[in-house]
Amino acid sequence: MMLARVADSLYWIGRYLERAEHFSRLADVMLNATLDRSDAAAQTAYIALSAVGDPDMARAARTYEAAKSLVLDRDDPNSVVISLSLARENARQVRDQITTETWERLNLLYLRITSDNAASAFESGSSAYIHDIIADLHQFKGAADATMSHGEGWRFLMLGAYLERAQLIARLLEVCFGDGRDGNVTDRIALMSLLRMGCALEPYLRRYTAEIEPRHILEFLVFDEEFPRSIRFATTRIEEHLVGVSRHVESGGLATPERLAGRLKARLQYADVDELESVGASALLATVIGECARIHDAIFDTFVAYSLEMKLPA
Amino acid sequence: MNREEAVQAEEETDPGVTATSLVNDDNPPGLPITQAAYIPGQAFDEMYEAAGEVRDHYSAVHTRLTTLSPEALADRQKTLERSFLLQGITFTVYGAETTTEQIIPTDLVPRIIPSTEWDHIEAGLIQRLRALNMFLDDIYGEQQILMDGIVPRELVLGAPSYRREMQHLYVPHKAYANVCGSDLIRGEDGAFAVLEDNLRVPSGVSYMLANRDAAKRTFPGTFRAANVRPVERYPDLLLKTLKSMAPDWRPDPQVVVLTPGVYNSAYYEHAYLARLMGAPLVEGRDLVVHENMVYMRTTTGLRRVDVIYRRVDDDFIDPLTFRRDSGLGVAGLFNAYRAGNVVMCNAPGTGVADDKAVYAYVPEIIKYYLGEDAILPNIETFLCREPAQLSHVLANLDKLVVKAVGASGGYGMLVGPHASRKERETFAEALKADPANYIAQPTIQLSTAPCLIDGRIEPRHVDLRPFILSGEKIVVTPGALTRVALRRGSLVVNSSQGGGSKDTWILADDGIEEPQP
Repeated sequence: MMLARVADSLYWIGRYLERAEHFSRLADVMLNATLDRSDAAAQTAYIALSAVGDPDMARAARTYEAAKSLVLDRDDPNSVVISLSLARENARQVRDQITTETWERLNLLYLRITSDNAASAFESGSSAYIHDIIADLHQFKGAADATMSHGEGWRFLMLGAYLERAQLIARLLEVCFGDGRDGNVTDRIALMSLLRMGCALEPYLRRYTAEIEPRHILEFLVFDEEFPRSIRFATTRIEEHLVGVSRHVESGGLATPERLAGRLKARLQYADVDELESVGASALLATVIGECARIHDAIFDTFVAYSLEMKLPA
Repeated sequence: MNREEAVQAEEETDPGVTATSLVNDDNPPGLPITQAAYIPGQAFDEMYEAAGEVRDHYSAVHTRLTTLSPEALADRQKTLERSFLLQGITFTVYGAETTTEQIIPTDLVPRIIPSTEWDHIEAGLIQRLRALNMFLDDIYGEQQILMDGIVPRELVLGAPSYRREMQHLYVPHKAYANVCGSDLIRGEDGAFAVLEDNLRVPSGVSYMLANRDAAKRTFPGTFRAANVRPVERYPDLLLKTLKSMAPDWRPDPQVVVLTPGVYNSAYYEHAYLARLMGAPLVEGRDLVVHENMVYMRTTTGLRRVDVIYRRVDDDFIDPLTFRRDSGLGVAGLFNAYRAGNVVMCNAPGTGVADDKAVYAYVPEIIKYYLGEDAILPNIETFLCREPAQLSHVLANLDKLVVKAVGASGGYGMLVGPHASRKERETFAEALKADPANYIAQPTIQLSTAPCLIDGRIEPRHVDLRPFILSGEKIVVTPGALTRVALRRGSLVVNSSQGGGSKDTWILADDGIEEPQP
């Protein structure tokens, strides 16, 4: 049992931090690509900006500015600084529910990225700066895992993180391999950048060796059972955590979010990359993004904004 | 190396300690504390006797201060401030471009009170709160004290903090003010007196706890040797007090902390107490009243609430009963309270007993209900509503402190000796226009205590806010918030007016028993 508002805040902390981590990585890969051939850099930047929802070729050409604004621009609702500020604001509202160890990690991160010298710190070493943000986010997750009770509150935190992750990875793959788009990515350096954006390069190499093929990337990032950033892995966790939190709800037999999550999980369990190749990846990726949005709404309706009439004592 | 040793080692290997600084009497350059810099002035000084001798109970801290270099002290101050910032013990400053977090200034030098002095304070506080609770029970009941003419009727019934709605309501144990924070000051003669009582929603207790936490890390060796009484039981004493307010037929009462929300300046404290008590921190929008029962919205449906430790002012708790424009409260909460289905702590309407004009009558109130003289005296107070006292106040504006009855936080007051002629004249006009709204008190030179100011130890004026809990029993936590006026010579300790705080050590007698709920 926990306050509905608290569950909502924990869920959003999970979402915002996952978003901050993902976009930090996109910015990092963009910056890194500028070191290589220029067309690969532009292509990488284009992939990243499209995944964020801002496919602007002119902007992609100015990779450094685009990366910097993705991290530090307070006017950009997707920027890392905004995600971290919102996560921290939510954490402050549920300060009594998260452990001090967890809170201090997040607060430190927030204080650093909102401090007056954040811009100059970024300029004097952008890659190191982003690297530190990601490392701090990992510390937050580690602290949460090691110090918070793995009960209801933690499950809401995880639900937010995995729903966000499934959507972000699906979106990234859609940009690269969705059909009907001009120039699906085939360039080797751009493909490596894509794997880096999913934090998947090293695990991929171990699994498929250095033969980097779109087909393998799709298989790995959509269907792999063990890689934590694959869509299948995320949807399995979403279903698991929803089963966990729904145990306590006497809902009117609907259990909507749980049912939706189970269906999505099954969908990914019983599809494979051959099917994806024959009909195109778009349909499945669009389903993932759409179903995650439905689960998101269902969670809100079931646990947070439920109608009082249903729950009042007779 | 075990922890004990680690602590010891930290003390001994401190870079500030050199053999010469321990034996040299000639104020070696660079030492932060020298008699020359530390000029106590006419106020009572907590550390030095008038003759310049260090008081016994301060000797260990004094020695420590004289052996630490300014750099070492500055380092510790920095560590302390950083830890407050990290913990989020901050308030937010909203600027045009950025928002920044600021900590409330915290001084690392502890303020020390010996046990005999504390015993006297404790007895005085218990006596005072017992009498004030009886007073509240009386004025919201038979009003005997008004009929006997001890306190003027119009003073009580006309006070803005008087709540007609509370008339004839049952309050368990007659404990109206479950949490009380009284402000004590020490005058030039060294005696403690009560400056004001805070019976509404007193804050600051989280600083008492956070400062203690910090002091233990700043001066571990000195702290251990000093035999300081613990304050760490406050949260569970508070929880027991709150639970004792629930009716017997609710065996495991659900206690919640009600906060106005994250933008309130005391939000950190609300979250801190909720976390340490293990009680949910709720906002008005989390609560629902249905058929005079209060529920909170949880993920698994509605759950009954029994006791609300509310940190929301009377005016805002229920838009149906009090201010209609309040979005912070819960519609119907007061009716649920009236029906006896939920307890609010503190009870609404307690503010009438800490009204600045009613304050003047507290010694008589104690005498009336308990037949005892007040253990802790009041400060002499002039009620401007009385014409004779008003003319005295107007004639002596340059010597008095004048306060608006309804205001708090150091606002709406005039410190006569520190004000310009023009300020005094403007204030005199306001006073004459609405005399009943003002009281005046002599300007007291609050006692001074050593503080770290720009790398030196200097005296600054302080007050003392202990916290008293009353439910089934009255319990005083052996500790307090010491508030500091950080500006040189300033007598205003409120944090809104450039005040800070520091840890307060209440020393133990051997064999003392810690309070049990």
